[in-house]
Amino acid sequence: MRSSLLDAIVIGAGANGLAAAHYLARAGKRVVVVEQRHTADPSADIGWVPPGVIRDLGLHQLRLEQPDPWLTVPLDGGSTLELSRDIGRSVEAIRRISPADAAKWPEFCQRMRTLAGVLERLYLAPPPDIETRDPRELARIGGLGLYVRRLGKQAVIDLARILPMSIAELLDDWFASDVLKGALGALGIWHLKQGPRSGGTAFNFLHHHAGSPAGVFRPARSNITKVLEGMPGVEVRRGSRATVLAKNGRASGVVLEKSSEAILAPIVVSSADPRATLDPVAIELDPEFARAVDNIKARGVVARGTLTLDSAPSYANLCVAPSLEYLERAYDDAKYGKDSAVPYVEVQRTDGNRLELHVQYVPYTDGTANVPRHQALQQKVAQVLGVQPSQVKLQSPDEEQMQRGATEGHLYHGELTLDQILFMRPVPGWSRYRTPIEGLYLCGSGTHPGGGIPGAAGRNAAREIV
Amino acid sequence: MAARRYDAIIIGGGHNGLVTAAYLARAGKAVLVLERRPRVGGAAVTEEIFPGFKFTMFSYVVSLLRPEIIRDLDLPRHGLHILPLESTVTPMENGDYIAAWADHDETRRELYRHSPRDAEAYDEYGRLMHFMAQAVKPILSMVPPDPTSFAPGDLAALLKLGKHFRGLGGERLHALVKLMTMSSADFLDEWFETDVLKATKSASGIIGTFLGPRSPGTAYVLLHHYMGELDGVFRAWGFAKGGTGAVSEAIASSAREFGAEIRCNAGAAKVIVRNGRATGVVLENGDELTARTVVSSLDPRRTFLQLLESDDLPGDFVSDIKRFKFRGSSGKVNLALDALPSFTCMPGIGRQHRGAFSISPSLDYVERAYDDAKYGEFSRRPYMDIVFPSMIDPGMAPPGKHVMSIFVQYAPYNLNGGWSDAKREAFGDAVVNTVESFAPGFKSKILHRQVITPLDIERITGLTEGNIFAGELALHQLFFLRPAPGWAKFATPVRNFYQCGSGTHPGGGIMGASGRLAAMRILRDGA
Repeated sequence: MRSSLLDAIVIGAGANGLAAAHYLARAGKRVVVVEQRHTADPSADIGWVPPGVIRDLGLHQLRLEQPDPWLTVPLDGGSTLELSRDIGRSVEAIRRISPADAAKWPEFCQRMRTLAGVLERLYLAPPPDIETRDPRELARIGGLGLYVRRLGKQAVIDLARILPMSIAELLDDWFASDVLKGALGALGIWHLKQGPRSGGTAFNFLHHHAGSPAGVFRPARSNITKVLEGMPGVEVRRGSRATVLAKNGRASGVVLEKSSEAILAPIVVSSADPRATLDPVAIELDPEFARAVDNIKARGVVARGTLTLDSAPSYANLCVAPSLEYLERAYDDAKYGKDSAVPYVEVQRTDGNRLELHVQYVPYTDGTANVPRHQALQQKVAQVLGVQPSQVKLQSPDEEQMQRGATEGHLYHGELTLDQILFMRPVPGWSRYRTPIEGLYLCGSGTHPGGGIPGAAGRNAAREIV
Repeated sequence: MAARRYDAIIIGGGHNGLVTAAYLARAGKAVLVLERRPRVGGAAVTEEIFPGFKFTMFSYVVSLLRPEIIRDLDLPRHGLHILPLESTVTPMENGDYIAAWADHDETRRELYRHSPRDAEAYDEYGRLMHFMAQAVKPILSMVPPDPTSFAPGDLAALLKLGKHFRGLGGERLHALVKLMTMSSADFLDEWFETDVLKATKSASGIIGTFLGPRSPGTAYVLLHHYMGELDGVFRAWGFAKGGTGAVSEAIASSAREFGAEIRCNAGAAKVIVRNGRATGVVLENGDELTARTVVSSLDPRRTFLQLLESDDLPGDFVSDIKRFKFRGSSGKVNLALDALPSFTCMPGIGRQHRGAFSISPSLDYVERAYDDAKYGEFSRRPYMDIVFPSMIDPGMAPPGKHVMSIFVQYAPYNLNGGWSDAKREAFGDAVVNTVESFAPGFKSKILHRQVITPLDIERITGLTEGNIFAGELALHQLFFLRPAPGWAKFATPVRNFYQCGSGTHPGGGIMGASGRLAAMRILRDGA
């Protein structure tokens, strides 16, 4: 191995790791990506792929899937509510359950789109450095402020008012139908150990709306990981977990756990979660920083898995969350460390007719597999969907941690709460993808702008490094 | 009848209305305060509910009253005397307790008993909170700038605010962001490991809110309550001699001395508006009074939706006010006692009775109390803050007897099926039975009992939905959004009509800051 000739090693071959690697390669660096899994995991490719990433890396093969109708909600009596990309069609569908809500739908969609637009702009660059004295950074922050104010008075007020709100309060302001509020509210709690009545869930809702057209409140899927992996210029080595090597405050490479082989490079970029990345080198860290890393809230609450059906279903995305109260009660169990007695379940059909499950809340407990709990959960989900338990395959956050090493099984490496975004992500004051260890960078979902925007963190990080 | 013409009529004789009146009168204005009830004070009143037993009916401790107000209005000379509450004891379900005493070293030893690590973290935490409270205080004394406005005054104020915060430095700025956005449980988790310590501390983050300790936004209320804190002693709240009613009386006395007229039993029915301008007030008895300026200290809903006609106001402003949330969540139980109760965790009668007992034995306990309220029930085992005012101020009860004030959360205003006499008593029973479980034998010492629900608070004081802060202290209802975007500077869409109650910035607690800032604004506008 000509490891001494490497410029950079990237840990993790997910969308962010690969994007960072390709950006670095394009800047003339010799890069190797190390990945513990033998095959790529497509299930995480949910979310907005920023156009900048597509353009810069020439992702011509990228396919975005945004089904239409984008959500099917079962109603009492066997019928369904279908929400479509076309706002007019959604209005017609909603009218059948609530004419008043139907009338408000177009304006709601418009107002949310404007706010998501502000987030999109924030996400395409490193987070604003509020402590800076650098005139260029100040000018950038000023430019952001001006951009927001140009959107008009309503947008400024909405931004200040809505971001800290709970999704329940936001939806109660607009709609009356429980079914509609449940279906929309579910997006506000995605990957959060919080209920729809918790402040900040309105932000989480808008975060997941980023990149979608007005009136679509479920993120698109893509094949970004596969496309990036198939592109030349970056070598991917699979099959072993890698740990950062650092000494005297400087990163020197990684060591592969299986073979104990060391790969050396002056730059190590990790797309693994910040806690898992930094724990092995904790001795090199200042205690304050180590404490901040330890305080990252990444409490996994989602079990993911697959559903097997005899024939393809009529829906593309089925959401079982009949009301905000249903979601809140599901959360109540999680607060006390228990799986929801009646969980929120969403089934998403992917390109290859695979049916993926999102089950919330299944709180992380102690990082061990618990067979009776697992079976009980399978049973519950089967009951919610009206299928046999054998058709449901699930992986709890505990199992996710055991298999993938993601701390507490959190897909986003850190909850998207208001105290963990922008310049607070991954830890306050270290949001520019650097760490106190020279040469060690972070580029995963644990950094700005966080999960559900594949490639964005990788791009921002690579640009900072270069 | 040739009525006297006033420079300003202030509707509502609560502490904020009185503060506004005192400041205006001090500036030489002819001021009239209209109070619907027979006495001033609003929610800060002391009443002899049972013969010989005096209670501060609603609010019960003083911590936030702005020092500049005490100074400007010379309140000590008018009878304001604040006695410190010396300790907080939190009984645990297992018979143990955690206590904070006036003596800092004693508190540290107590914490050490539970966790050496927490005892170490405690001082650092106290320093940070103290500093953060200092850092936020200037905001309490400023008129919130409007970020949507391009007026030079607003831009300058925003810039100044930005500078102020940047001046805090990175670490503290980050702490501020956390305090503004986190739940008190999560925030305290970063500092402490002892559950009961986190529980008792987080309890001060939920007072007056319809949120649980695990709900984001409660860390801010934690800070809000720290602002009245003296010398870093945790929850060093004061108790006004003569009850909180004495605070109102002192402010009223000061206002009178400056020449203000205060009329009780004089409820305002409507504000008279002519050509978009407030010109006076119609009383409930039909009398009309004229004034150059009218000021309302009532909460935003009553100020705008009751005192005014909806066509006096722009439509989107009305919908903003309708959206403003109240959701009263707290009740009060006032007891006359034959003797003091003895608590299992610290048997006997002693100095612990000079301080507060906080019934918040664990985070889960408080969170479960919230769960009940979330679904429209009062807490079966509620969070309670208990004080014995007669231990600090013997004048509150006949010799040898005592009064016990229990602040209770949660009692939702919108109870399933609505509040009734039976529900009120059931709620009172839940409170008394829960106390009994921590202090066996307590029930037999009760002579009289008064139970106050949020509905009672609304009926008696007029506070909408019984919210003790005249509007929830939620992040989206603070600063330039309190009570409505664009109208947080005490002026209203009706010319010469102002607002000065707790429903305006900075709001909440017996602070008086809203009343003072409103008076400044009115004087600047040349009332």
